Amino acid sequence: MDTRRIMVIDDERIVGDMAKMALEQDGYAVETFLNGEAALARMKETHFDVVVTDLKMKGIDGMEVLRTVKERYPETKVIMITAFANLDTAIEALRGDVFDFFPKPVRIKELKASIVCALNRQG
Amino acid sequence: MKSLSGLIALLAPLIRGRGPFGRRRTAAPVPFAVLFDRFREVLERHNRAMECIADMGEKLGGDYLFDITYLKDAYAELSGSMAAVLSGFDAITQGRYARLGEIFRSLDSEIRRHVYHTASPPGHLVLFYGEINGSNAHEVGGKNASLAGVKNGTGLRVPDGFVVTVRAYDAFIRHNGIDGKIARLEGEDACQEEALQEIRDMIREGEMPLSVVGTLNAALKKLKETCGGEFFLAVRSSAEEEDGELSFAGQFETVLNVPPESRALQEAYKEVVASLFSPKALAYLQQGGGSAGRMKMAVGCLRMVDAVSGGVAYSTGPRGEERVFISAAWGLGKSVVEGQTDADFYAVSKEAGYAVIERRIGKKETRMTACERGGICTEAIPPALAGQAALTGGQIHELAEAAVLIETHFRGPQDIEWAFGKGGLLTILQARPLLVTASGPSTTPPFGHGPGSRQDSRTGEEVARLRGLSVQRGAGAGRVFVLRQMDDLATLPRGAVLVARNDSSHFIRAMPYVSAIITDVGSPVSHMASLCREFRVPALVNTGTATRTLAHGREVTVQVDDEGTATVYEGSVREVLDRAAAAAPRMEDLHEFRRKRYVVRYISPLRLIDPLQDDFTPEGCRTLHDILRFIHEKSVLHLVEEARNSRSESAPVKLELSVPAGIVAIDIGGGLSPDILKGKASFEQVSSLPLRAFLKGMLHPGAWSADAVPLKAGDFFSSMMRMPDIVSGPVQHTGCNLAVISRDYMNVSLHLGYHYTVLDSYCNGNARNNHVYFRFSGGATDRVKRVRRIRLIASVLRELGFSVSIKEDLLIARLSNTGQAEMERTLTALGRLTAYTRQLDAVLHDDGAVERYAEHFLEGLGFLHEVS
Repeated sequence: MDTRRIMVIDDERIVGDMAKMALEQDGYAVETFLNGEAALARMKETHFDVVVTDLKMKGIDGMEVLRTVKERYPETKVIMITAFANLDTAIEALRGDVFDFFPKPVRIKELKASIVCALNRQG
Repeated sequence: MKSLSGLIALLAPLIRGRGPFGRRRTAAPVPFAVLFDRFREVLERHNRAMECIADMGEKLGGDYLFDITYLKDAYAELSGSMAAVLSGFDAITQGRYARLGEIFRSLDSEIRRHVYHTASPPGHLVLFYGEINGSNAHEVGGKNASLAGVKNGTGLRVPDGFVVTVRAYDAFIRHNGIDGKIARLEGEDACQEEALQEIRDMIREGEMPLSVVGTLNAALKKLKETCGGEFFLAVRSSAEEEDGELSFAGQFETVLNVPPESRALQEAYKEVVASLFSPKALAYLQQGGGSAGRMKMAVGCLRMVDAVSGGVAYSTGPRGEERVFISAAWGLGKSVVEGQTDADFYAVSKEAGYAVIERRIGKKETRMTACERGGICTEAIPPALAGQAALTGGQIHELAEAAVLIETHFRGPQDIEWAFGKGGLLTILQARPLLVTASGPSTTPPFGHGPGSRQDSRTGEEVARLRGLSVQRGAGAGRVFVLRQMDDLATLPRGAVLVARNDSSHFIRAMPYVSAIITDVGSPVSHMASLCREFRVPALVNTGTATRTLAHGREVTVQVDDEGTATVYEGSVREVLDRAAAAAPRMEDLHEFRRKRYVVRYISPLRLIDPLQDDFTPEGCRTLHDILRFIHEKSVLHLVEEARNSRSESAPVKLELSVPAGIVAIDIGGGLSPDILKGKASFEQVSSLPLRAFLKGMLHPGAWSADAVPLKAGDFFSSMMRMPDIVSGPVQHTGCNLAVISRDYMNVSLHLGYHYTVLDSYCNGNARNNHVYFRFSGGATDRVKRVRRIRLIASVLRELGFSVSIKEDLLIARLSNTGQAEMERTLTALGRLTAYTRQLDAVLHDDGAVERYAEHFLEGLGFLHEVS
């Protein structure tokens, strides 16, 4: 099977760096972006199986990333992570058909399990 | 913790209603009952702070994705808890340890500066090295703080001198209107050469504020009085460790041999400060993910040592070898750190005796010395001297001993610059943490010899095998670029294998682009070597022949191993590269990760372990954890002291048990039999229900004895046997195990070996009031074993019906609403568990051992249940 491709979007570099290192160890190809604009531009060029995105970012935020992905790349699963988790944001994300939703700090093991689950769902 | 404060409220009237413990003594305005309530409040806040620290340790440990919001929130809570603990502690000790508050505020402001990017608090313009301590170390930059640590912590000789602080830097920059220019640098991309040049010019042409000049002149005058005679100064950079754990090896200017006159010193100062804005330093900073403009610089002004020989020592090998590595050359050590000359190399045993294990005498053709009228000269060394060892056997011994001492003081491997002066005296010029990379088996591949390993007739063929000194293992592929002169560095193509005559810290600008570095001459302890390890660039130095062996422009793959060999293959060889990459990277290798969790160094490590040591003082506290440790120990002691002074029935009593647990009891009502004599009580005279049950478990045959656990380290066990004679001995110098008890209640603080246990329990016929609170932390062994031990305790406690929460190696367990008989059985089990596990982490070698020991213990408990 081809290497599965994961995109990580977070306006703090450390989140992308850590996620990239952890996920590459499991054999994924990982690209990281610090904002939604650059991430969406990259999605036009290449396919990603899973997008892990921060919710709150300047400019294009996680909800907008979610909407765009659902509209243009319905096969791609989106996992949302946020430091500002509350019921309202969770409900909003779930309505937008997010695959999973984690408050930060998020245990890497759980994120990995969720990604495996998302990929299995895609078949 | 809400439940505990509720319990305090619940218990206070119960305890107060029972006995005469609240009797006032004339000398003490605070009744013991009040003091004890305050003590428990401090403990409660202490617990909260410990939980915060453990939570941060867990979340910042590499298993979680975290961001700055978490860091800010978590620290806000920790800081609030710390402030509350301190104010409670102050109330108990009536302000006796006011210095502790200062130490906390200093650490707090340092942490806030990193977490919230707040401004430095006002401080000194100049500090002499002898004046630098935990509360002002942040004003002098990393290198100066370390040097002061060497001087004040180990007693080794460092040059006389002072530091022009970060505050003076701020004043200088503001005074000349440079702050605006610097602010504009921040956030911008790449090195804007013109903007940097403008800033450097403004610094060089800038004027020192009068306040700084006045202070500087006064410091110079004082230094002249101290030194006497004629001397010169070394003016050295010491940047703030603003952006994490970057070493900044060789990135900033050092001006040597400066006359001790105000004008000359000011010029040298400005030169050093300007180097903060050099393209080289900024390239380094940006490569590490830092940004220009945020970092500030303190400058050390130290008396020059007239060095006969000088160089570098690593207190541990750069790949974790248990040896001191020494590089030595004639004259100033600058030639070694700059890789400008061949040097002598020694690997020395760290065991007493410091036997030389490996020796290689270099051909030292030049040396750097201080010129008579200032500045530095490079001169040729007579051939007869060039091949002679620069150090005597005695000097090697002395240097190795000093390196080990410095490592012990800083609790980690150190990169040390040193010099032997004309009088033969050793002076330490600098010490900074050494980045040690994990060692692994040699990976020199049998490549090119096996079937099917070649990609075409030539690719993969071994074209050269160079011997030298290994700096950083790994593999890289690219075209060979033989550097003939430094200016050619500008034309270095991306991905090249850099081959050069000397090593140089100037290579930093090329580090993002090179695949590997090989030099003819150089030292594994130079600045460049530090940088290569930091950025994981495969590198081998001192090959003698690389520039002649490797053809410019040839495409090769270079593999450097730990043993000092670089194997060079024709072409780009995927298998060699893959094999090198397979060595799994660690989160710690991520610069951003190190940078964000940098504050943990001020929070988590526990340095203040042994209350019997001289540095068990507020000044000895380097972290928030140390402060909490100090507070716990001193709160317990203070309580004992107050009780002893009271000469009432609540005077402390030593428990004479058949095991040396060293417990002192303070009875606040019906906890001990009335017939005790001379401040000593036997187990039979303990009438406190909970304590009696707990001790019964501790005294259970085999529970305390080491027979149950095959200990490897005898000295470890012996450390637990220390029985502080707290009743008769001087209170301030003893560790203390304390039980404050009444007939139905106990609050126990146990310090067995290096573990800390707090136990709070109420136990009588009314099940609704009964509770046990159990907290366990600390440990002398490595983190993995400590965590295993915690898991063992947790699994046993869950079997006993406790609700358990664990963070890192802190465990908190609670049990309530339990009948008296069950409570007593549980407390007995806890007593056994405490005795049984006190040395367990030393032997928990694998995860399976946790289950085995837990089963072993629970089987034993079954027996206990039968007989009790």
